[in-house]
Amino acid sequence: MGKIRVGIIGGGISGTALGYHLSLYDNAEIVLFEKNAIGCGTTAKSAGTVCLFDDSLRNRYWDVRLYGFESYLKMEREEKGSAGFDKTGTLVIATSESVEKTIRTGIALTRAAGYEGAYITDKARIKEILPLIDVENILGAGYTQDDGYFDGTMISNTYARKMQKNGAAVRTMTQVVEIVVTGNKATGVKTSDGTSHAFDYVVDCTGPWSGFTGKMAGLDVPIWHTKAEAFFLSPPGKKLGYVFPVLKYPAFYALRAGDNVFICKSHLSMDLSNPMHAGQWDPDKLPSTGGTDDYFIEFLFEQMKASVPGLVESGLVSSWLSYRAEPKDFLPLLGKTSVEGYILATGYGGNGIIEAPAASRDLAKLIMTGESTPLLEDWAFERLLN
Amino acid sequence: MNIAVCIKQVPVSNNVSVDPVTHVLVRDSAENMLNPADANALEEAVSLKERYGGKVVAFTMGPPAADKALRTAAAMGADELVLITDRVFAGADTLATAKALAESVRRCGAFDLILTGSESSDGATGQVGPMVAECLTLPHLTEVRSVEALEAGCLRGVKKFKNSGARVSVRLPAVLTLSYGCNDPRLPTFSSQIAAKKKTVIVHTNEDLALPEDAVGLSGSPTEVVDSFEPEKKKNAAFLSGSSAEIAEKILTLIQEKKGTGKKGADNG
Repeated sequence: MGKIRVGIIGGGISGTALGYHLSLYDNAEIVLFEKNAIGCGTTAKSAGTVCLFDDSLRNRYWDVRLYGFESYLKMEREEKGSAGFDKTGTLVIATSESVEKTIRTGIALTRAAGYEGAYITDKARIKEILPLIDVENILGAGYTQDDGYFDGTMISNTYARKMQKNGAAVRTMTQVVEIVVTGNKATGVKTSDGTSHAFDYVVDCTGPWSGFTGKMAGLDVPIWHTKAEAFFLSPPGKKLGYVFPVLKYPAFYALRAGDNVFICKSHLSMDLSNPMHAGQWDPDKLPSTGGTDDYFIEFLFEQMKASVPGLVESGLVSSWLSYRAEPKDFLPLLGKTSVEGYILATGYGGNGIIEAPAASRDLAKLIMTGESTPLLEDWAFERLLN
Repeated sequence: MNIAVCIKQVPVSNNVSVDPVTHVLVRDSAENMLNPADANALEEAVSLKERYGGKVVAFTMGPPAADKALRTAAAMGADELVLITDRVFAGADTLATAKALAESVRRCGAFDLILTGSESSDGATGQVGPMVAECLTLPHLTEVRSVEALEAGCLRGVKKFKNSGARVSVRLPAVLTLSYGCNDPRLPTFSSQIAAKKKTVIVHTNEDLALPEDAVGLSGSPTEVVDSFEPEKKKNAAFLSGSSAEIAEKILTLIQEKKGTGKKGADNG
């Protein structure tokens, strides 16, 4: 069997998950290029919530969610801490009948897969799980206690180690400066260390950088940036004193970070036509901390007052701004493009940690065998060209 | 107890540039924050207000963007905010800065206590606090580690003394400079941050302060900066790229080069 040479650009969750799944094929010859360190870009600013269900990914793609979750549990079984799992459980709040319906379906799916899950309407029980929230104006809450959040940087590094063990090369501190396109075919890359590499396939796993990466291949990648503005809160008393679950409301979500609480606007509540929410910017210009907009603090204040009054008087410890890579329908861009041999594995938006394992499994199959899958067809680049 | 707190906006990182002609730090090229020791001074001021009543007024001198440090002060509990800003103040050294701060404080009424951080994280001279005291002819204590109690018009506390501390007392009104890390500054909250955004900032230009032009800004600064330079970088880091095996090989080569040994020697060693 002839070797298939694949160059992966980007060492975040997308690139490393793909690299690992490709490395399971004996005839894959893989080189991953990361301009910095593994998992240190957008992946490092991900909350890493992989809940058994929530509204971040429609229940239609529940198998994608389950594969991601169980991939990380497997990692944790193989080496504790390698996926950075914090088993806090998840509380998804039913703020309307339509959300309640989604939760009930999610709970049924969770239980069918053999995990604990319940839709709770007893408000005293909800307060017992999370004392800080207001239960007056909610219908109930879905509670799954077997899940929680993971660490995207840890996962990316674990995938990178696994793919190297399987024979792949990982080149960190190595920036791709040119994608070699011969005719209409991507045939290799040139890197910042002055070397050239020939490939059968070049895969863009650069997330928010995909606009820049695509240009090198002569491709306009339809990616917008939505702002992921996050705050770390020190709750009143400075100690939680209980397990704060991943908390999901339609407009925001929260999770614990030590004794602090991480809180962020949900990515599906972002409006691509609102210049305060979305645009096309340069991720290299993001500060490591700070950079959040004034409107965001007002938004969170109103949300906290209405939903989690126990956090209104929290201290604001720090904040950060990150860019999510979002196609206009908020679903990833996977697979072939109009440039032969140039593959996309980008646009995961706020769901990279959830979606990358299943998407990479299918994409590796496409690259190595030429066989597509229903998921790849759903998330194909062509859908945005129509 | 009415307390004035003199604060400063400083660059977040050390990545500031130096004007090649005047040799002063060009601070507007970096993201800014409240000087850390000034946050300690604010914390002490707000704590004293909570114990003894009164108000806290924050003063800062700088460009209009220094308003950000005042908003932070308000979110931490400052009741009133004063921004001293005027092009004629540009290029001020510690003395010209102290003169403007002192005059602004004086025009805002009587204060029992004037606090500031013991030094800034950028200039780090530690001179402005004592100079403000001299301009206002008030006693001062520098590098105060803790304020213990107010007794019969005197404030008792502990100041840094050599490698230890000395318990001291000062009659009010007085100027104190607070050591960095002497307390745990409170964090702004959602509600205090939003309230701070709505607070009015009193602006003092030199028209308000009526200081002679040769007493402010660069022309009022006796300090002559002869040269400024970046500290010598002693570390010489290099990033190695490649696979783990390639990086290991490169590290081995570097070690051998450093030791002046060949690969064979290392293998035999």
